[in-house]
Amino acid sequence: MSIDQLLNTTGRDLSVYFNAELVLSATVVLLLLFRLFSIDRFVPGSFVALVGALVAGGFSVQQVINIEDGTSVVFFAGMLKHDLFTVYFRIFLCLFLILTIALTVLTGIPDSEDSPDFYTLLLGSTIGMMMMASANHLLMLFLGVEMASVPSYVMVGFLKGRKESSEAALKYVVYGAGAAGVMLYGISLIMGVLGTGDMAILGSQLSALGGGLGSPGVMTVALGALLVLAGLAFKLSLVPFHFWAPDAFEGAPAEVAGFLSVASKAGAFALLVRFLLSLTGAETAELMTWFGLGLGLIGILTATYGNLTAYGQTNVKRLFAYSTIAHAGYMVMAVSAFVVLQNSDTATADDVSNSLSSLLFYLAAYLFMNLGAFAVVAMVRNHTFREDLTSLKGVGTQGNWVGICMAICVASLIGIPGTGGFFGKLVVFASVYKAAEVSSFMYVVLAFAGANTVFSLFYYVKILKAMYLEEREPGIQPVQVPTAERLYLALLGVMVIITGILPNQLAVIAKDAGQSILAGIGG
Amino acid sequence: MATLNAYLLVGAVLFVCGVICMATKRNGIGVLMGVELVLNGANVNFVAFSKFTSLGLDGQVFSLFIIVLAAAEAAVALAIALNFYNNHLTIDVDRGNKLKG
Repeated sequence: MSIDQLLNTTGRDLSVYFNAELVLSATVVLLLLFRLFSIDRFVPGSFVALVGALVAGGFSVQQVINIEDGTSVVFFAGMLKHDLFTVYFRIFLCLFLILTIALTVLTGIPDSEDSPDFYTLLLGSTIGMMMMASANHLLMLFLGVEMASVPSYVMVGFLKGRKESSEAALKYVVYGAGAAGVMLYGISLIMGVLGTGDMAILGSQLSALGGGLGSPGVMTVALGALLVLAGLAFKLSLVPFHFWAPDAFEGAPAEVAGFLSVASKAGAFALLVRFLLSLTGAETAELMTWFGLGLGLIGILTATYGNLTAYGQTNVKRLFAYSTIAHAGYMVMAVSAFVVLQNSDTATADDVSNSLSSLLFYLAAYLFMNLGAFAVVAMVRNHTFREDLTSLKGVGTQGNWVGICMAICVASLIGIPGTGGFFGKLVVFASVYKAAEVSSFMYVVLAFAGANTVFSLFYYVKILKAMYLEEREPGIQPVQVPTAERLYLALLGVMVIITGILPNQLAVIAKDAGQSILAGIGG
Repeated sequence: MATLNAYLLVGAVLFVCGVICMATKRNGIGVLMGVELVLNGANVNFVAFSKFTSLGLDGQVFSLFIIVLAAAEAAVALAIALNFYNNHLTIDVDRGNKLKG
């Protein structure tokens, strides 16, 4: 490829496929320049960030209209991939970014002095997650993970003067950097043996090695893939790499905890799917089925551990951290079902794309319910200056919308019919059931998934009981939120219910996105 | 002339030393040094693979990216370590024990 060609294609790629990320990057530069020239005194950082996120979201929606069904384009010399799956996550992340910025404006967590820093980190982290969703090369896999992680280390420790905050940030950065190093070593093994980092041909290279599971080359690649999966499992807070999550969430501001629990999970799941698909080739079905079943086992452990440990918690953020771990467990069960189905001879293409779209649907429903829960925690904190279950006591009976929004979100997290969480669980369980026809181990996964829904009832009901059945303790400030915050909570609550009552529209979009990534593989 | 295996051995030793260092050091800075060892273990692998296998220039480009990222990560990690020191007056990671349960 000549220099001229490279310049021409790069210009086109930047403006057509990469424009959302480009707008966010420009917003970051603008935020920093505004501070340099003291413009941030007149134009608040949150406003600049919000406009940037809205424009990026607009471009992403436009990409849906422009994209042809089932096509995928590789750009930046094979580094990134543009298909409906990428665009789905771009829109998801932009929407979540807009909602998070709105929440930080309402709860005022970065003061006006710090707000350019905070939004720079927030936008930078989101760009990293978008790159995770579109990665087509192992280099981009690593860069995306790092770009999403490094700003989030800082955001966790954003409240500089608090002991808990600094402790949480240190634990997160130490474990996170370690996990990234391990993942990198795994990438070096894969790239060394297969001679390429291009995720489009990893699978065929692996098949060409031959020799079955026992040959040294395949074993080395399997070891490398395990190390990469360990790094991704850390980002997803899967057992046994979950230990950072409760500490980081408890020490971080509730807004940041909400961001980490949804956005960074979404990016990491997109990357997990892309990575597992990249290793799929003609001769790798046996190896990949083992990975799929292993993920199922991890899903069981993660969901069970998260749900059982959450019961004993008194800090609400810590409780929701364990709830986040449990939900990551359900979602990894969907990934496990997807991998098992994809590598079997008997499953139809429809089953495979259904299992992938169940993951995408669950993520979308999870966005609203989890953000709603963390928004309530942040608003209650602003009134009571505490984040334990005591601060929630009697909130529901005070006649404001905080209790109602929390109740809707908790109902959805449990999976009560009529909420988005119910359909999310339904489609995930259905795809696990489909996978059980291929491998009977998936019946065990399904049984544990069902049992976990019951386990989770106990601690979610504890929250509802505190809000509606218990008296407010004397000396704790009442929670009276202003109209803007009420509208925000109402929006999230309504979205949770809409995804539950009218799931078809979202399911169709999720299915299209799922099919687009499979079209290139021929699975 | 050293063989590929010799380089890979150096990389593996660096990796294991780094992991042991991360797991056993109680000093926050020591843990971060362990992380650097792990990253550089991978770096040695990449450069060796790019010389001896069909990986070619990809490996060297990858290692350049790693060097830049390691610097960025070290900057962030040291800032967080300094903030931890300001709040706790020590860098002993065992003293961070307020968050548990």
